[in-house]
Amino acid sequence: MELLLLFISTVLINNFVLSRFLGICPFLGVSKKIEVAFSMGLAATFVMTLSAIATWLVQHYILMPFGMERFLQYGAFILVIASLVQFVEMFLKKTSPALYQSLGIFLPLITTNCAILGFALLSALNGYGLVTSTVFGFAAGMGFTLAISLMAGIRENMEFGDVPEPFKGIPITLITAAIMSMAFMGFSGLISM
Amino acid sequence: MKAISAFINGLWKENPTFRLVLGMCPTLAVTNAAANGVSMGLATTFVLVGSNIMVSALKKVIPDEVRIPAYVIIIATFVTIADLVLAAFFPEMYKVLGLFIPLIVVNCIILARAEAFAAKNGIGKSALDGLGMGLGFTWALTFLGIIREILGMGSVFGIKLFGEGFVSWIIFILPPGAFLTLGLILGLFNAMLSDKKKAKCN
Amino acid sequence: MKNLTAKLIIVLALISIGSGFFLALTYTYTISHIEANAATEQEAAILETLPGAVGFEEISGTDFLMYKGLDANGGEAGFAYVAEGGGFQGVITLMVGVDPEQEMVTGIKILSHSETPGLGARIGEAAFQDQFAQKPINDSFEVNGDVDGVTGATVSSKAVAVTLKQTLPQALEQYRVSGGAK
Repeated sequence: MELLLLFISTVLINNFVLSRFLGICPFLGVSKKIEVAFSMGLAATFVMTLSAIATWLVQHYILMPFGMERFLQYGAFILVIASLVQFVEMFLKKTSPALYQSLGIFLPLITTNCAILGFALLSALNGYGLVTSTVFGFAAGMGFTLAISLMAGIRENMEFGDVPEPFKGIPITLITAAIMSMAFMGFSGLISM
Repeated sequence: MKAISAFINGLWKENPTFRLVLGMCPTLAVTNAAANGVSMGLATTFVLVGSNIMVSALKKVIPDEVRIPAYVIIIATFVTIADLVLAAFFPEMYKVLGLFIPLIVVNCIILARAEAFAAKNGIGKSALDGLGMGLGFTWALTFLGIIREILGMGSVFGIKLFGEGFVSWIIFILPPGAFLTLGLILGLFNAMLSDKKKAKCN
Repeated sequence: MKNLTAKLIIVLALISIGSGFFLALTYTYTISHIEANAATEQEAAILETLPGAVGFEEISGTDFLMYKGLDANGGEAGFAYVAEGGGFQGVITLMVGVDPEQEMVTGIKILSHSETPGLGARIGEAAFQDQFAQKPINDSFEVNGDVDGVTGATVSSKAVAVTLKQTLPQALEQYRVSGGAK
């Protein structure tokens, strides 16, 4: 039950993109087409769930026993995520070329997606257990997928709109995001304490 | 002459926020007050200068194949130093910026400058480039912070500007306000610049 | 080929060692300041929530982090404890000062929170926190009935009130068992 609540609140209320501002770069950059945005979202969710497990293990079995979590955490986490992405890329290439075709190009981009490092640090900060942390990672990824797909849907339609010249591209996307973010704030009453 | 242009470049022509649109996460997240913008900007500047110097100094030693992981380690080192120093000497600021200090690691500006500039240029120039880019980022963040703080709280750097009667637009310090302000300002700058271009053509 | 791999590993290892060395150095230099900051903050919060106290000592053997306030003559001046509760976005930690004889809250102080800046974060303002002083322990702590919540941040305000309501009886009970007797 608690895990379900965490899932819902991470996807809707504390959406990583719209209320925590994590993962903005791909949100602005890769949200022109729904299909592409959705694949990017899935790839990120995949890596986030895996890195939830990996960073938890690193935090609890390597950093904490040696008392190094305060000053080696950032470096260790980013390296874990980067190597994980590399590994997933090689693994997909060998085992599932079809999946690699659709997700492959996004994988290198994911390393610099701050949503992943952000959530790993948040999860460590909140002292989540392995299962909670994994659910959190998955939910954060789904929230990202939701936000980026919605945005892509809107942008596809906006192609036909008459946007003033200087606002084309990123400015209008940001203003759209503002309205989406306002709409998502409406979810905040969904779970009462 | 050229060294100076490396410095000036980041302030306007290739301003990381307004022209290159890089490092959006901290830009949006911490600019709900002017003071937050300044401190986030300065922390980023420190990391940029430090990592640019290190990358430039080590560019002959680091093999091409592992340059990205090597840069990432260097950047993470400087970010952790910034994090510890802030926590030790500026605890109030540290509380506010919290999670976004570690996220400087994945700020695209830093890796982009390491790869595009520091890996090809000398130490002095790279330091200037980092300084210019960092200060460009700082003023952009401060600018956004000032606008949002005035509209959202009726103050600048915590100093109240209006009388009791002022009803603040809280929306501007909330997440939607971040997107809205940045979107409008980017559009405005685009409009101003394209006007200038047109004027020149005529 | 083999030479190249070896070179890659050696370079990366050297950079990592250098980085670790510098970080360990910074860490040892800053950690004392960081800990001192936390201690000063804790101390200020204890004294602030216990108006009559000039000093304090930690009480062990309770579920809470609990401190006994000492007045100028070394007598007891109530107790303070650290309570935690779920807020709108994360955990809210607060210091609560209690007068056990009159069974009354003497003050609260928010230690840390991650509420929305400008809205929920205003639970950190004195206007909100001061309302809780002089409230009896068995108070209903009803937001917008008994205490005024922060405008636009009902969830955060309620979180503080509920945390108080839930932890106060326990804290008093434990104080009487393990701390009061001395």
